[in-house]
Amino acid sequence: MKKTGFLFDERYLLHDTGSYHPETPARLQAVYQGIKEAELLSSLTLIHASLPDLKWIEAVHDKEYIKRFEMACLSGNSTFDCPDNQICQATYETALLAVGGILDATRLVMNAEIDNAFCAVRPPGHHAEINKAMGFCYFNNVAIAARYLQKEWGIKRVGIADFDVHHGNGTQHIFEDDPSIFYYSIHQHPSFAYPGTGREFEEGEGSGLGFTKNSPVLPGKGDSEYKRLIKRDLFPAFESFKPEVIIISCGFDGHVDDDMSDIKLSTEGFSWIIKSLVEMADKYSNKRLISILEGGYSLKRLPELAKNHIEILLNHR
Amino acid sequence: MFVSKSMTKKVITINKDADIFEAKEKMAEHRIRHIPVVTKDYHLIGIVSDRDVRSAMPSKPLSDYNSKKIKDKVARLKIKDIMTIDPVTISPLHTVQDALVLMQNTRVGAFPVVDEQGKLRGIISVRDLLRAFINVMGMEDPGALMCIIVEEKLGQMKKIVDAITEERISFGSIMVARYWDEGKRAVFPYLLTQNITSLKKRFKKMGYEVLDPMKWYIDQLPKDG
Repeated sequence: MKKTGFLFDERYLLHDTGSYHPETPARLQAVYQGIKEAELLSSLTLIHASLPDLKWIEAVHDKEYIKRFEMACLSGNSTFDCPDNQICQATYETALLAVGGILDATRLVMNAEIDNAFCAVRPPGHHAEINKAMGFCYFNNVAIAARYLQKEWGIKRVGIADFDVHHGNGTQHIFEDDPSIFYYSIHQHPSFAYPGTGREFEEGEGSGLGFTKNSPVLPGKGDSEYKRLIKRDLFPAFESFKPEVIIISCGFDGHVDDDMSDIKLSTEGFSWIIKSLVEMADKYSNKRLISILEGGYSLKRLPELAKNHIEILLNHR
Repeated sequence: MFVSKSMTKKVITINKDADIFEAKEKMAEHRIRHIPVVTKDYHLIGIVSDRDVRSAMPSKPLSDYNSKKIKDKVARLKIKDIMTIDPVTISPLHTVQDALVLMQNTRVGAFPVVDEQGKLRGIISVRDLLRAFINVMGMEDPGALMCIIVEEKLGQMKKIVDAITEERISFGSIMVARYWDEGKRAVFPYLLTQNITSLKKRFKKMGYEVLDPMKWYIDQLPKDG
């Protein structure tokens, strides 16, 4: 049995994307319900939202961008940077609260008060670039957590594993020349899916060459292809990199019942992936693992996916 | 779509009396395969390709045997001895489509771009055309591709464009595949959004076939026979 943190806060529901958007507050309610109804809450260390020190966001994003995002929200704009990114007045603060909660969860892991954590936050982050919002993402939550681990805790090697069905272009670009952060992503092939990056030959730049790895998956593929590619690409990469902490960009949108993609992962397929990552954290990272929610839009499947994820972190499964 | 807009303007050139090692070095340094040969006032007199240079060099087994004699011979070779005189050229006022057709017809990988006075203005290669194609497809902007099968009749494209516009989605590009099932066409809108789910449903409701991505193709080789 492990000590697992669970970050959730009703304030994460305040980011209102309007009536025709897939990235809805109901997603997070589904995640929470799944965990609550399985009576897991009492086994978890509950973490709530908090406002972060802005310097951690500035460790990843341009100051000018942060200001521009704040102004767009406060002045009542309905979109930011591109029409995909629906915002409301509360979006900026919600995004801040997501970062703050994640940094708290990370601190608890580093203080060994918990072994690992699942951060059920909105808005998601992995598409956000240094100075551009993309694909429903504003602050790159995972990237900010990684920089926090480096700067505040002196961590020399952070391993990021991103299994959202879309490539995490923002995370890749932020760290592509940084050999101290290994970015691995498995996603639907970029010729068939947003955002059109994450091809097999993108392997990092300059001194970061060899510290980015992408496994594009063809449409229609599912569990067995994911297992094959993760064993082929991620296992040896983390084996030699030996991350001191593992961060997961946890997207459930590759599920067969999620119509955001043509990938056909089953619920069990997700469990296999998460179990593999937890085993890697046991082996290389002194159990330290922080999983941060990205996409996942099937309200029918999110409860069971979240429940399974938590059970695997707790070592119940 | 003029050649002058897509060509490489900073051309690496060479003199006809230079030795072939100079051409070899220039090709390696600038990672290019074609060097126009020009006079002092930039008039084109020929082109030298990496294949011309390779053919002039001794092959490995030969270089072991009687190597000095061959080396001397190679060292005496000048660009003018190996260049293609009167290469296929193209004018800056030709179009990118002209260049594509010419490339397919002549099987030449790069054309010097020459003005009416015979002066070299640039060079356009397969690489320049690829870059233009990536640009035209909108591939550098984040987005998602769809494929919709439509009947080959008037007004289909309007319905597709209207539906996408009503979803308030911007276009990166739109392609129509020419070879497809009899009486049908494949329309590929590249859309600058992550969110094509509701659009897919909408097209299905409108009676279109949204094609399984594993069945997409944009080009089909002509059938044999």
